Amino acid sequence: MTGRGAAVGLAVLLGVAAPGAAATHLLVVSGLGGDETYSASFHEWSLNMIDGALAAGVPLSNVMYLAEDPSRDERRIAGDSRKATIESTLRTMGDGAGADGELWIVIFGHGSARGGEATVNLPGPDLSGGELAAILDTLPPRRIVVVNASSASGEFVRLLSAPGRAIVTATRSVTERHAPVFGKYFSESFVDNQADLDKDGRVSLLEAFEYARAAVERFFEGDQRLRTEHALLDDDGDGRGSMTPAPAGEGDGVVASRLFLGDRSAIQAADASPELRRLRERKDELEERIAELRARRGSLEEGLYLEELETLLLDLARTNQQIERLAAPAEESS
Amino acid sequence: MIAPIAGRRSQRGLPALLLSAALAGACGVEAGAQDRGGAADLHRAGRYVEAIAAYTALVAGDPESAEARAGWGAALAAVGRYRQAAEGLELFLAEHPDAPGIRLGLGTALAELGRYAEAERVLGAEVEHRGRDRHAARAELGRLRLLAGDRAAAVAHFDALIDAYNRGEARRAPELVAVAAACRHLGAEDPQLFKDALRAFDEAIAADPGSIEARVALGELFLEKYNGTEARGEVEAALALNPRHPGALLALARVLHFEGAYAAMEQAKRSLETNPGFVPARIFTAQLLLELEEYEDAEAEARRALETNPRSLEAQAILAAARYLQGDDVGFRELEDVVLAANPRYADFYNLLADACVRNRLYREAADFGLRAVELDPKSWRGWGLAGLNQLRVGEIESGRANLERAFLGDPYNVWFKNTLDLIDTFARYGEHRSRRFTVIAHESEDELLAPYALALAEEAYDALAPRYRIEPPTPIRLELYPSHADFSVRTIGLAGMGALGVCFGSVIAQDSPRARPRGHFNWGSTLWHELAHTFALAVSEHRVPRWLTEGLSVLEERRARPGWGDDLSPYFLAAWRDGELLPVAELNNGFVRPTSPEQIGLSYYQASLVVELIERDWGFETLLAMLRGYRDHRSTEEVLRQQLGIELEEFDRRFETFLEESFGSAKTAFGPAQARPEEGGGEGSIELPDRSDLETAAREQSGSFPAQLSWGLYLVSEDRAAEAVPFLERARDLYPQYVGPDSPYLLLARIHRERGDDEKAARELRSFLAVNETDYESRLLLAEIEEELGDVGAALRALEEAIYVYPLDLELHRRMAKLYAESGDATGLVRARSALVALRPTDMAQALYDLAEAHHAAGEPREALRQVLRALDIAPAFGAAQRLLLRLHDPAGGGGAGEAP
Repeated sequence: MTGRGAAVGLAVLLGVAAPGAAATHLLVVSGLGGDETYSASFHEWSLNMIDGALAAGVPLSNVMYLAEDPSRDERRIAGDSRKATIESTLRTMGDGAGADGELWIVIFGHGSARGGEATVNLPGPDLSGGELAAILDTLPPRRIVVVNASSASGEFVRLLSAPGRAIVTATRSVTERHAPVFGKYFSESFVDNQADLDKDGRVSLLEAFEYARAAVERFFEGDQRLRTEHALLDDDGDGRGSMTPAPAGEGDGVVASRLFLGDRSAIQAADASPELRRLRERKDELEERIAELRARRGSLEEGLYLEELETLLLDLARTNQQIERLAAPAEESS
Repeated sequence: MIAPIAGRRSQRGLPALLLSAALAGACGVEAGAQDRGGAADLHRAGRYVEAIAAYTALVAGDPESAEARAGWGAALAAVGRYRQAAEGLELFLAEHPDAPGIRLGLGTALAELGRYAEAERVLGAEVEHRGRDRHAARAELGRLRLLAGDRAAAVAHFDALIDAYNRGEARRAPELVAVAAACRHLGAEDPQLFKDALRAFDEAIAADPGSIEARVALGELFLEKYNGTEARGEVEAALALNPRHPGALLALARVLHFEGAYAAMEQAKRSLETNPGFVPARIFTAQLLLELEEYEDAEAEARRALETNPRSLEAQAILAAARYLQGDDVGFRELEDVVLAANPRYADFYNLLADACVRNRLYREAADFGLRAVELDPKSWRGWGLAGLNQLRVGEIESGRANLERAFLGDPYNVWFKNTLDLIDTFARYGEHRSRRFTVIAHESEDELLAPYALALAEEAYDALAPRYRIEPPTPIRLELYPSHADFSVRTIGLAGMGALGVCFGSVIAQDSPRARPRGHFNWGSTLWHELAHTFALAVSEHRVPRWLTEGLSVLEERRARPGWGDDLSPYFLAAWRDGELLPVAELNNGFVRPTSPEQIGLSYYQASLVVELIERDWGFETLLAMLRGYRDHRSTEEVLRQQLGIELEEFDRRFETFLEESFGSAKTAFGPAQARPEEGGGEGSIELPDRSDLETAAREQSGSFPAQLSWGLYLVSEDRAAEAVPFLERARDLYPQYVGPDSPYLLLARIHRERGDDEKAARELRSFLAVNETDYESRLLLAEIEEELGDVGAALRALEEAIYVYPLDLELHRRMAKLYAESGDATGLVRARSALVALRPTDMAQALYDLAEAHHAAGEPREALRQVLRALDIAPAFGAAQRLLLRLHDPAGGGGAGEAP
């Protein structure tokens, strides 16, 4: 883990101070299923990711889907998920995104560790973590998110971790070799903003991770089975993933809490009236004050904290109500 | 030897190397033993009769041989012929005042006979004359001084032994055993010396691997500190050397008792078979009999001990305990006066009383006796421990903890003390929730979820049981729920490994929480009800109800509380009944406190509940209350039954058999002959089925055979011939309607009907199944689903509400309930379900809190709604729906608020 200073530095490096300002590009890879049950699951999860991204404002032209068998869904699958195809697609997408673009790579499949090297099983030669790292190193985007939801994927954290990257793996090591369910819940988290835990209308990478992690925990607890997967998230570039990343403080989670699929803010009307703009500024200011109050919670008496919070929240609620009233006719007319 | 033992005052700094060198030359075999040759070997091997004969011959052949005489005396003492040994040795000593090896044997024999003054004189002479056995004599002298309450003199002897050790004088095994005994006694002053005792025992064994005395004493020291595993190892090693050694046999009995094994009494008897005058074995047996509430037999055993040693303080303490437990206060005080006159500092008198009280569920009294023990001897760590542990049992947590900490300070190697204190340290992470009459203590990970259900159920149970038992036990009653079974076990017995689900100390109940065991393994609601029913039986009987009756009542109360709760007619019970293995009612208590097999406990629970059911049916519940009062008045089971039922026990057993036949005779017949013996455990487990090849023939020819019908039905189901299976499964179901194992006909029929779309029938089968089964979670969910589809939301909710008592940790369960409560307009239920969802800490906590706020709002609870919506917004300030609710709560008239933003 890095210190607070390093994390802030990364956030700046990632440009997350202005979330969504850059266009998001999404590559979804569905690896070898091995049997139809898995192939169908990987396909379903891939579509969840894509639909979530589109709903979040990612342009269709920025989304690519590679799968083991393109004939399964020719309308949505752009090509096969062979190593060479992945590499060429990544290069094309990387160039398209440019240095300021944000590239998300989400992999569903089975993984293994042959000869000690973590790989994703693909039609044809497998893709190793080292090979993927070598490709990523040559791509223009400074912000890259890799989600490897395959089994035995934990080693990818170490292999891919770098400044400007957020890495998520479904398992914490190559020894967790059972087919993980993390991918199911991770992809599901973007559907209808299910993982929008702070109700800000969008799902951050951290929220998706948290949502999936908790769902995996319940899955194993409910079935009363020994847990065979422990997901990791690394976003501070130290090569060590965390199983419990946090949005505040030091270490993993701070950056991921500000990474979003798509750019929902762009959906907001840019031609808002001065009154609407004033109200939105007021809203932003109130949200900032609430965030400050929450940061000071530990030093405040609980009753006082709640009193101040209630005052601010009421103010925020009334402001939002006015925004909704003003915005509604404009949206209706548009 | 590596380092000197740290005596309280001693020359501690003797160079370690010097001591090592001194010991290196020590020989493992006594010189005298070689002279005694085969006789000594016979003695060591436990062939005492032959040893006595061999020594007698040696003595006759050489009347002047001190070694032969000493061996002869020891062999006689080993079989309890202390008097003869003492007389012989005394005569010999009179003629040979300087003979070696005689005084120790004589002194210990006299001590065994309670002739303490003479013993001390003889042993003192051995010390004074610096005889060969002076160290062992000193250890015995110290022990005798302790018995006399002269601790200062005792300590002086023990210190002298440590000094001797540090001077390198204790080299042989018996000498090292004496040093170890001294360290063990001095451990009360300085617990560090317990470690020295261990070391000295180890050195004794190293000096003489054949030293049985060292191994037995070491085993007992381990056991004293609740280290059963190490104790067993030493005792078994001793018995491998001498399988008839009375001390080793007794030590194994103690280990067995510690382990909760059922053979402790038999094992103690083996010790007495070798040495009928072995007072410690008599005392141990008497203690076991006290536990079995067989007070007269306990007294008889104590008197036998007194026949050997009329001054045995322990035997008199047993008599006092028996008097006390039988309500004879005058007799108790007389004995108390006698014992304390003999030793005014004899704290173990009250410690023994406290132990006996614990075994008889008198926890308050046990705590008080512990406190009286420490009044006599503030260094009685056992007394502090008994006081503390039992104060914890009666809910006096702070004073209990303080006393236990004091005990631990003096005896830090006591595993029970340590484990319990460690557990209490975790109480900081337990939440406390109160209702009118109960306090629930549950771990912070689940307290908010469990407390509302536990408190509501406990209040319901109290309301149901108080009028029935015509008593209101003192409140608040403390309910402790442990998510770790090991913690529950430590709370109860100080160690992990207890098999029970719950325990009732009267006003304190501790039990497994649903998280402690896999889903479907138990019903925590019925367990709570069961334990609380004990509170009432204990209250009416003033804690004197025997196990069989209180367990029988509790199981019966479970069955009355909810359909399916409580033990049922298991295959194992049927088999035991069929095979004549049920206990007559007069012996039913033994099924709990002295079972012949682990399964007998389970059988006894159910049998006791049926006995109670029969009494209630034929004599009325008033009679059961009168029985409880009879026990309160110290009546025996025989007296109580005869007095209250008005019939002889044999007659009752006959009526019970008739009752069983009337109730379950057809099931027993259908269960068939002995080949259908179920696997161990019974309960709701599966039964063994016949070979498949003959299944169809058997099913068609034996329409009255449950196994035949079920087997063929199962086979047909497995072959996808469900329609054909139905009549066989229905017959199996009707033949043995209480069978609710995993292959129950009810479940199979429900599945078949469901698949055929006949939900009415499927629901009927599931309802019948769940009227007997208390642990099947999935079937409750399935029934709820079907009931909902059939349009009966109330029935669906009832099924789900019962599922909570099996496994409340399932988010989906509470979501379904919330949906159904909302649909049925049950605002209270909706708040409860949504509170449970919040307590389960879902990933989307903001949503859960908002939903709860809405539920409170709908229930007309705006203050709570406001609290919850603020919690939601604290997590997610931008949460639009929550913001709108906040505005509605602040401006109800505005229907969402229209206040101006500044």
